[in-house]
Amino acid sequence: MTPRRSGAPVVARLAAGLAGFAIAFGMVSGMAAPALDFTAGEKRRILRHGPWPPALAPNPSNRVSGKPAAIAFGRALFFDPRLSVSGTVSCASCHRPDRAWTDGLPRSRGHRTVDRNALSLFNLRFNRWFGWDGAQDTLWAQNLRPLLDPREMGVGPGGAAQLVRSDRELSCGYRRAFGAAPGADDERVFVDLGKALAAFLETQVTGRTLFDEFRDALALGDAAGMARYPAAARRGLALFIGRGNCAFCHFGPAFTNGEFADAGVPHFIEPGRVDSGRLGGIRKLRRSPYTLLGSFNDDAQRSTAAKTRHVRLRQSNFGEFRVPGLRNVALTAPYMHAGSLGTLADVVRHYSTLDEERLHAGGERILRRLDLGAREQADLVAFLETLTEKKPLHEATMKSGNAMCR
Amino acid sequence: MGPWRLGGPVLAAALALVLTADRAAACPRPQGWTGGAELAGELWTAWWRPEPAPIPVSAHFSIRFHLCGPPVDRVRVSGWMPDHRHGMNYRPAVSLNGLSGTAEGLLFHMPGRWRLILDVRGAAGREKLTAETVLE
Ligand code: HEC
Ligand code: HEC
Repeated sequence: MTPRRSGAPVVARLAAGLAGFAIAFGMVSGMAAPALDFTAGEKRRILRHGPWPPALAPNPSNRVSGKPAAIAFGRALFFDPRLSVSGTVSCASCHRPDRAWTDGLPRSRGHRTVDRNALSLFNLRFNRWFGWDGAQDTLWAQNLRPLLDPREMGVGPGGAAQLVRSDRELSCGYRRAFGAAPGADDERVFVDLGKALAAFLETQVTGRTLFDEFRDALALGDAAGMARYPAAARRGLALFIGRGNCAFCHFGPAFTNGEFADAGVPHFIEPGRVDSGRLGGIRKLRRSPYTLLGSFNDDAQRSTAAKTRHVRLRQSNFGEFRVPGLRNVALTAPYMHAGSLGTLADVVRHYSTLDEERLHAGGERILRRLDLGAREQADLVAFLETLTEKKPLHEATMKSGNAMCR
Repeated sequence: MGPWRLGGPVLAAALALVLTADRAAACPRPQGWTGGAELAGELWTAWWRPEPAPIPVSAHFSIRFHLCGPPVDRVRVSGWMPDHRHGMNYRPAVSLNGLSGTAEGLLFHMPGRWRLILDVRGAAGREKLTAETVLE
């Protein structure tokens, strides 16, 4: 099954030829690296982190996915603090547009402090699971969680439905999004709010980055394009797909395989209380009425429900957390499920000095103590920074306001 | 380096051809199949193929299989990464119709070497047929 092994020498020769060409024409400056020294295998591994952005398709489990009126309604809901029992907390309290949809805190605070770090809201439409523990299998179900949790917003189905029915602008927004006035069934209206919020959040796809320019130049054999990628980032990339083993988990265009792992981050919430991570997540999923297997899925065929039907619970899920995507990662500090690491340099140091004894208890053998030197650590950070947009899209989105029912 | 790189696969392919030709009589490729691979054990031989093919990394796929050998009561399908010592995060569901079947809900969640395991059981005994594949 190994594809085209005999092709390697040809590619290598071609690469050598191009490098010669680049040098001859003075394209390789002292600052930029000779960009063509990746092997054929490395090149394949780099290319699979793109192209970006991927094709966008509506989500079949949500009948208003991609609908402009639902996007406008969802945006209004996102910033509305009346969706909390106190009237003071909105989604944007913890997912701030000016902070790349996070709050900058190790652990978020609504009415009370929660156990985990606020996840950023970019590229959600590509997720398989939602939340650090994957307790939700759709974006719309994830959006209901803070409305149910009294520590966050806690308005609940009754309170939320009542607000939408009684407020002129919200009920108008609902009608435009769903084609009918909010009905008498609180739970139906409540789930629809999750779906409108999902339509809005699906629009938050990160833009092109320096890495994408490099990756596409590599795909085209464009030496000049490749030479524009900083040398440190290129060395960091080689570590990421090579000795660092990072790309086993941070795989594909979004830099996550969408699954769960124990990355050696302590899971004590406070002395005597642990976060069971994925183990608790699967249990919650199985108890929830808001899944792809339940009656709120708008897709009669259940065409995206295989993951929920087949997901498997094992004791080794204890202490596993979702592998986060790394696009725009430079904007979303602090890091890890409880915000225990303050900077990207801290994260890289964590992987470099990992406690293997603790990790290998479960038997997994991907993460190793890397013992990276200072320059290698800086290179990895430089690479991670090139996964971040120069000009994040969300700012423009926010300025457009919400002309919902005017 | 050049001749070695080319020589390995070519020799292996030639050898595989000889072996396949020998067994083909015992377990022919199922009717209507163009691709697929053969897995020979002591009691059973299987033809299997993934859908979609090739197996994608970190996306759901299913497999179809056809067994030659004594009657089968039950087949379990699983995956294992020998280098990392972990299996799949999903439990496939197998539907069996005589000696043919499908397994749905498989997902190989990272690149690298994976072992596909068909655990076959019947009155004649139990056998694990395994195939290895490297996902890139
Ligand atoms: C109190 C702070 C807080 C509030 C308020 C809040 N969130 Fe969150 N959000 C979080 C935290 C913390 C997480 C991670 C939760 C977990 O893994 O258990 C999260 C996770 C998410 C995710 C999952 C992202 C992913 O990658 O899986 C989405 C989507 C989300 N929130 C949307 C919303 C919406 C919509 C609202 C308003 C209805 C909202 N949040 C209100 C703190 C908050
Ligand atoms: C075995 C899978 C795995 C490997 C290998 C891996 N990671 Fe991670 N990564 C994770 C998981 C899981 C988390 C979240 C852990 C947690 O919060 O407990 C994470 C978190 C991160 C974060 C923080 C992101 C955020 O938003 O909080 C960064 C950055 C990161 N990894 C980079 C790397 C780099 C660089 C490497 C290689 C040196 C690497 N990872 C290797 C699974 C992995």
